[in-house]
Amino acid sequence: MKTVAETWPIVKGDYTVGNPRSRIAVVTLASQINSSPEAALWGSSKTENLGVEKIIVNIISNSNIRYILVCGMESRGHLAGHSLLAIHANGVDEKGRILGSKGAIPFIENISKAAIKRFQQQVVLLDRIGLTDPDEIIKIVKRYKDQGEVYPDEPFVATSQKKRRSTFAVPLSGDIIISEEFVMDAAAGVVCQAKDF
Amino acid sequence: MFKFQKEQEIVNIAGVKVGGQPGELPTVLAGTIFYDKHGIVEDSARGLFDRAAAEKLINLQETNAEETGNPHIIHIFGTTPESITRYIDFVAEISEAPFLIDSPEGTVRSHAAEYVSEIGLADKAIYNSINMSINASEIETLALSDIDSSIILGFNATDSSLQGRMELLENGAGLLEEGLLSIADSCGIVNKLIDPSITPMGNGAGVALRMTITAKAKWGHPTGSGIHNAPSAWNWLNKKREKDPVLYKICDVGSTCLQQAAAGDFILYGPIEYAPYVFPMAAMSDIMISEAVADLDIEPASRHPVNLLV
Repeated sequence: MKTVAETWPIVKGDYTVGNPRSRIAVVTLASQINSSPEAALWGSSKTENLGVEKIIVNIISNSNIRYILVCGMESRGHLAGHSLLAIHANGVDEKGRILGSKGAIPFIENISKAAIKRFQQQVVLLDRIGLTDPDEIIKIVKRYKDQGEVYPDEPFVATSQKKRRSTFAVPLSGDIIISEEFVMDAAAGVVCQAKDF
Repeated sequence: MFKFQKEQEIVNIAGVKVGGQPGELPTVLAGTIFYDKHGIVEDSARGLFDRAAAEKLINLQETNAEETGNPHIIHIFGTTPESITRYIDFVAEISEAPFLIDSPEGTVRSHAAEYVSEIGLADKAIYNSINMSINASEIETLALSDIDSSIILGFNATDSSLQGRMELLENGAGLLEEGLLSIADSCGIVNKLIDPSITPMGNGAGVALRMTITAKAKWGHPTGSGIHNAPSAWNWLNKKREKDPVLYKICDVGSTCLQQAAAGDFILYGPIEYAPYVFPMAAMSDIMISEAVADLDIEPASRHPVNLLV
């Protein structure tokens, strides 16, 4: 069985890639802590929405990862770590709000409920928010890097965030004047001839 | 360049005029002080900092504003009620300029709103921001305060498209019972500054440029953003920065021009230390834009860079 998606990690971010076969990934929240190659992924996360999404996308696309160490200092107001724990424990409501999160804007836009469910099933979160001691973090990585089995399903590739939805609209007004000959419909984003309006 | 058919509102916040048609008023520039990991801050929880260095930075921005004609606002960032109180006291003592009160925590923003009302500085304060995280308690505090200027943030965490952002302001986009513009009215906000919100590149940063134009065409309120947040959150650029810091600075400061070309009226340009680079860059764009619309019956203000620097 393939355990790592071909293009893993799927989304770019403030992280470094270590051993893709490792069972553990490390999220250092708002702290910058030197990484260890023994973790599959190691990076920061400061937001309760896009940051949480990126972690989920990159974790579920690698079935080897079974643990996430959530450590480092929490980002004030955003509560990215608390929101990651909340989505893992409770999921989201029908509007995409992370249930139980006290972060400022804890909403998910780009990933499906199936992706969230996979995240909940695939990994165990190790809640060590506030921990910044590199030695202690490395100790935890060493303890978990070979622990347990690979998740029994193939990598889950969640929707790409680079959506390019066409919302082409027919221009209905010339609300921006460019010249005597041309106008633009701001909402449609279309430049057209003034004589049409 | 172009002109909006809709009348463009110009608001006056403590003597600083923001808004209008492209090329009419110089772009208003707001540099951030006391930001996260700012070197002059000694204790961010208590709000202890190097006062001489902070004064020097504010003067730096003020001098650049004076020279180019681009008015300035001081963007105060604080994370606790204690720190933001100290920062406000200091900034008001040093400068006559209006200031933004900004915090990631609603309780700190609320405290700041109450505090500036109490000490009679509400007319100089701009609340940053009314956004989708606002709750009943923050609305009540803001309504009871004397603040009448606020940024209205178009960040829609469930739909980052142009339509999603516009609807959040107009009707709450199904996430709020009413739109943020209407909430702002309930809070007594007269001077509404729309910020389409800069999400990271890859997550719709560019949509903010479209929304700047669309929001001005629809409502006519002054519109702008913290566009430098797009390059500053760009991991690829941050890796390059380690080898060549100038490269980073060029992208960070240069992003200013993009927002101006998309009809932005104000820019939150990030670290106040960048003032000597951002002000000339913005002045250059303002001059070019002003010349581009010269035949559209738009008269630049007397202290516009086109009348001061060329």
